[in-house]
Order: sequence, then structure tokens, then C-alpha cells
Amino acid sequence: MKSFTIKLIALCAISMLTSTVFATESVKITVNGMVCAFCAQGIEKRLGKLPATQAVFVDLKKRVVAVEAKPGQKLDDKLIRAEITDAGYDVVKLEVSGLTVQQIKSEVASKK
Amino acid sequence: MDLFRSLAALACLLSALQVHAGPMGFKDSTMAMGDLGPNWREAWVNYALTPRDALGAGGIWMRSDDKQITREFAEVNYTRLVKRWNAEHSQANIWFLGGIGPVRGTGFAGSRLMLAPGLSADFETARLYVSATARLYRAKGINHDYGAVRAGFSFYETDYDETQPWLIVEARRMRGLSESTEITPMLRFINKRYFIETGVSTSKQARFNFMYIF
Repeated sequence: MKSFTIKLIALCAISMLTSTVFATESVKITVNGMVCAFCAQGIEKRLGKLPATQAVFVDLKKRVVAVEAKPGQKLDDKLIRAEITDAGYDVVKLEVSGLTVQQIKSEVASKK
Repeated sequence: MDLFRSLAALACLLSALQVHAGPMGFKDSTMAMGDLGPNWREAWVNYALTPRDALGAGGIWMRSDDKQITREFAEVNYTRLVKRWNAEHSQANIWFLGGIGPVRGTGFAGSRLMLAPGLSADFETARLYVSATARLYRAKGINHDYGAVRAGFSFYETDYDETQPWLIVEARRMRGLSESTEITPMLRFINKRYFIETGVSTSKQARFNFMYIF
């Protein structure tokens, strides 16, 4: 019984560790001032150059920017805020999400 | 090859390699822009050192309506985003532009030092655009102060990856070069990669503007 309990705990621990390592990490940001694609390209370019970035999504109509982390990597919220500010815009809200950029894109599209 | 030709060649070369508008891009970006017509040809490139400051170089060739006066101005310039207001569905900006360099042309030998300070303000939403620009072009015995206002609308709202068409009308005056106000309706196309405008003025002069950030 003791051996079974230890194996069960070990299995749970491995399972939790695995899900932590491979879970999708994204941030969804609401941005003010994004009115033109040509001007907002700075956001996509700057966020796309961050080492942890896997994908970036920009939606002008909903004022949303989403960034997805590479597997196993963590996004730096402060750095993302700074990059958007350096691109010339104001961050209104930043939320951590477990969705992929593609899923956030679909979610935003469904609300249009 | 003199300074003007060197700077103009550099600006044209870089702008040919890539194409941008707004007088500067985002931090650490390089932007090229041009304004091309029969009597006014301008091209310059700048680099954004900070989110609010850019340094650049460019050249302007200008000619009077009667084609009797021409000027060539090669400048190094500084652009400053004085103030930006980012709202939920709009953005407004005030810009300072400062240029200095040699000018040469009709009526005098050699070159003279020209100073070209200016201010520009704009307001835009995803569907509306208005702007006003005033820039002084002054050298000893020369005054070609420039003023322009623009207003327009987009035909429809687009997503980030689509090209958005606009209709923009510009009215501008150039002291000492033209006695009339030049009115130019232009089609503007904004894409995340490029910004271009093309039109024909009421005096039947073609116009092409571009901006590109790389």
C-alpha cells in the first residue's frame, strides 16, 4: 500500500510538472491608440523580436495585442509593457492567458 | 560630388531599398519617406533613437510654378514627438521638425545655410484623419515657408493584415514659389508594410508620397 501511494504521488508530481512545462502561456493586452496598421507594425515587430515570443497577434478593431510564448518559456509582462510603450502606445490592461494566439484570434473574431 | 547630391543620393537609395509616413517610426526603427511631384521632390530617412526622437538626412528640390526659380536643399534633420495622446479609438500627435543644411539655386552663386524648423499636428481614428503642418525654409535672402492642411476619411475599416484605402485632400502653399494654394485629392493606401498616396492636383500636377519603416 505504501509503495502504491508513493508511486501515485510520483505520478501526480510528474503529471503536474509536465503540464506546467508544456502549457501554453500567452498574454492578451488591451492597447490604446492603435488606429492604423502602418503605425501599429512597431508593436508586432518589437514583440516578435523578444526571445520568448512564439507568435504575435494584433487586432485594430478590438484594440487587442496577444503574445504567445515559446514552449517552456515565460513571458515578461514588464518587458512587454515597455515594448508597447516604446512602439508609441498605451497599455490599458494585460491578462495572462492559457490560450494560444490562434485561439485568442478566434475568440476576438467571434466577438466582432 | 557636393553635400546635397550625396545626401539626396543616400536618401533616394535607402528609400528605393525599402519604402514609410508620420515623421518618424518606433524606437530603433529606420524610416524612409518621399513626397514627389513636378515642383516639389523630397526624400529623407531617419532613425528613431528613442520613442520620441529621430535623427535623419534628406534632400528637397523645389521649383516655382513659372519654372524660373529652383532650390536644392540638403538637410540633416531632427524630429521630436512633442506630445502624443492615445485614446481608446483615436490618436493625436504634435511633432517638431528641425532641419539645417546648405541650399543653392537660382539667383545666387554657391550655397547658403538654410534653417528649416517646423511644427505638425495630427488627429486620426480608424476612419478619419486631419493634420496641419507649418515649416519655415529660411536662408539669407530666401523665404520659402511652407504650410499644409490635410483631411480625409477611409472608405471602410480593415483588419490589421488588410490594406485600407483612404481619400485625403491636401491644401498647401509654398511662399516665393507659388502664388496659388495647391489642392490635391489623393488616394491613400495603408498597409502594415507600406503607406502610399497618389493623386493629381487641381493644377493637373501628379503627386506620389510614400513611407516605409524597416
